[in-house]
Amino acid sequence: MEFFLQQIMTGLSIGSILLLIALGLAIIYGSMGVINMAHGEFVMLGAYGAWAMNAFFGVGLLPSLIVVFLGVGALGWLVERGVIRFLYRRTLDTILATWGLGVMLQQMIRLSAGGELRYVEMPSVLTGTVGILGVDVPGYRVFIFVFVAALFAVTWYLMFRTTFGTKLRAVVQDRSVASCFGIDADKVYSLTFAYGAGLAGLAGALVAPLKSVSPEMGTTYVVDAFFVVVLGGVQSLFGTVASALMLGELTGGLAYLWNDTIAKALVLLAIIVLIRFRPQGLFVSRIRS
Amino acid sequence: MSNAFTTFLNNRTAVQITVYAIVCGAIFLFPLVLDNDFLLNRYARYLVLGMAAMALSLSWGYAGILNLGQALSFGIGSYCMAMALKLRTVPVHTGEGGLPDFMVWNNVETLPWFWQPFHSMPFALLAGIVVPVFLAVILGWFMFRGRVTGVYVAIITLATLVVGNLLIIDQQRFTGGFNGITDLAQLELFGIEFDAYSKSTYYLVAVCMTVCLFLALAVTKSKAGMILQAVRDHEDRVRFFGYDVAWYKVLAFSVSAGIAGVAGMLYTVVMEFASPTFLGVPLSLSIVIWCAVGGRQSLLGALLGAILVAGMEGTLSESETFLDTWTLIMGAAFVLVVLFLPNGLAGLFEMLRRRLAAQPAEKPTEGATDAAVLADKGAAERS
Repeated sequence: MEFFLQQIMTGLSIGSILLLIALGLAIIYGSMGVINMAHGEFVMLGAYGAWAMNAFFGVGLLPSLIVVFLGVGALGWLVERGVIRFLYRRTLDTILATWGLGVMLQQMIRLSAGGELRYVEMPSVLTGTVGILGVDVPGYRVFIFVFVAALFAVTWYLMFRTTFGTKLRAVVQDRSVASCFGIDADKVYSLTFAYGAGLAGLAGALVAPLKSVSPEMGTTYVVDAFFVVVLGGVQSLFGTVASALMLGELTGGLAYLWNDTIAKALVLLAIIVLIRFRPQGLFVSRIRS
Repeated sequence: MSNAFTTFLNNRTAVQITVYAIVCGAIFLFPLVLDNDFLLNRYARYLVLGMAAMALSLSWGYAGILNLGQALSFGIGSYCMAMALKLRTVPVHTGEGGLPDFMVWNNVETLPWFWQPFHSMPFALLAGIVVPVFLAVILGWFMFRGRVTGVYVAIITLATLVVGNLLIIDQQRFTGGFNGITDLAQLELFGIEFDAYSKSTYYLVAVCMTVCLFLALAVTKSKAGMILQAVRDHEDRVRFFGYDVAWYKVLAFSVSAGIAGVAGMLYTVVMEFASPTFLGVPLSLSIVIWCAVGGRQSLLGALLGAILVAGMEGTLSESETFLDTWTLIMGAAFVLVVLFLPNGLAGLFEMLRRRLAAQPAEKPTEGATDAAVLADKGAAERS
């Protein structure tokens, strides 16, 4: 029983990190249809932001989260204004343009911060373990789980309970009609993109203590995050949560049965089959086109 | 400008065939100008990468299938060739019966069954084409029967590529894992030995490239090619006409995979090893980028785009001044091309051709020719 719980905890931990990274992507892809290959680089920038705040200003991880969120968000805003907004009519091309941007961001970091691995320290309050149902779980993982839950709640509130969210959903449904009603679609889209990018930055700062920080770290994340978003269903925030946790549990479980690589390959195969039969995602009952 | 020239310019196919032939001819004559085996090897490499991009243009530009997993076919072809060449190495550190060295290190006792047939070179050459095609037919059938389109095709092909890459790295005992298959023999066909650093290999690549290029051109000019372009532009309309859209897409997808497989085989010959990076996500995305820069809707454009970009990468990354900044320059160039040249460099050429063809003829011509020119021009504008 304890072993079983341990497995579930591992899965939840993987799933919460997946969700953390996928949440920003879900908003950008789900509402704007933009396939942001630079998302992984936003994550990477967040991790470097946390590292730089610590190395140069001696600021701990938790206070630097705010700076990282605002900084990466501002960069996202610039990217949207400078590149993405010209590509809303041909969204598949956003793959190419954002990939080019990602390559540039990687190289800029390599030139300024160096290509070697960096390490970010965990906040000392969170280094201990917490006993949950008789299972010892690292405190930092619990913190991530709680933080992601809170972040999700905020995002959900923003999307469904604020004027901004209403405007965004109106623009997503019909841009021209929304514009006729006086909604500044450009502004709504650029702010949405900035918010998604900011979330990616937060994700990077939060995973930094768990993994080493390198200019290439984003590439693996963006692919995984895409699978989460597509599997959950575009435009469905709850779908994203469910699919992140499902993929987390599946990866954790299969990795125990075989090994990490085979687990990953099997999960990907499952995703391929699921997309084929439910391209609209697992958790979307109806879709507007 | 003479009238005949204008008429010629108005015939898109004629222009295409002429330009394609001129480029291929230039590629064949190139070694006469450049007598440097090291550089020839490098250009042969660019040509091979160009083939992979050209194959992608067939499925992406002509059929609208954005295949982010093009490197899977490429890598499989490359491994097929490497397996055959590995079994031909002079046994120095190999096990009994020419067991490859990395298998000995991984305590593999006998040659696994799927390595056995690679003792035969014809089998390996065939496998390098048939295996990618077979996989493409299965995957294509699986996707297109289910009417999976657009970004979902991109995600499925990307996922397939990652699975292939993971498996190759994981099965180290049989594939050499991260290191790939190194220390290969030289390819020998019809009594000619293809040293990677020699004119013979360059010509081998050039011949294969030319054949594949014109084969792909023939596909696009065939009826199936026309239907594919119609599918790209408006899939539902073609379906309503009663065409089986899925099979046409499978056709484009698998021909593209076959050409990529050939390119992969050549890549092993040119590079003298096979590595999991040959079916990695970065290479696969690079192929897409080359195709986009050159012009996704032009086979030759994609080919030249790959040669140009890969060549620039090679030159810039070696020069002192751009050592650190070349990735920045390339990244910025991609973004600009995507923003301002959606049809790539080939789009520029096409604009130029139309501009020239649209110029009024200097001398008044007979009514009949004029009408023909007008009709032709109309056709060109619609296309």
